Amino acid sequence: MMTLPFLLFACGLAAAWTRRRETALGFWAAGVLVLLVLFKVHVTEVLNIAL
Amino acid sequence: MTPDHSRLLNALGLIAINTLLVLAFIDQIWFRDLPCPLCILQRAAFVAAGFGLALNLLFGARPSHYGVTILGAVAGALIAGRQVLIHIVPGTGSYGNPIFGLHLYTWALIAFGVMVIGTAIMLLFDRQFQGELLRPRMDIWALMSLTIFAAVIVANIFSTLLLCGVGFCPDNPTDYLIFRDNLSVTSG
Repeated sequence: MMTLPFLLFACGLAAAWTRRRETALGFWAAGVLVLLVLFKVHVTEVLNIAL
Repeated sequence: MTPDHSRLLNALGLIAINTLLVLAFIDQIWFRDLPCPLCILQRAAFVAAGFGLALNLLFGARPSHYGVTILGAVAGALIAGRQVLIHIVPGTGSYGNPIFGLHLYTWALIAFGVMVIGTAIMLLFDRQFQGELLRPRMDIWALMSLTIFAAVIVANIFSTLLLCGVGFCPDNPTDYLIFRDNLSVTSG
């Protein structure tokens, strides 16, 4: 599961290298989305600070 | 700033990101400082930010590519900032070994901030966007930075797979999960 962002970015880079810019940007956007979802899943600790 | 200058600076920026990711690997392998889930996500955010620079090298500089870098860096700063806040109160512990007095997540937060500022400065130079070729010339710096970038992404795929398997990572990893699971299977 945690490899997914790297896999998507790797696919995006491969697409960019083969001149498919829109596909590359699509993979990048999917990668960032997965990254943020994984971040949300892993944020379990309550912050012990007063802001 | 000419397109050639812009290409060189983008290549150097990508080399800087590659260097950070390689240093993280050295810390992981040499000092057995295994990355936590948030640390892995910060590495992924470095890749997300570097992706914009890679697009600049492959397609020529465009404002949208710099936008990719800024968004990736902001996502990374969000993750690194959260980890800094977890440990910001004295006595709440830390994760990993400090390097030059700061932990890796603090260095990451600084690096993401520098990337946002640096990219914003690059956006100030309009001439780099004029007369750019659809297929820009690939010089040695661009080729080297892109090749290492691809290698670092692949290395992160294998490293994360070894560390976490196919599921979520443990909060405080003490060993490579995939080896531990296989050993328990064979010994059982």
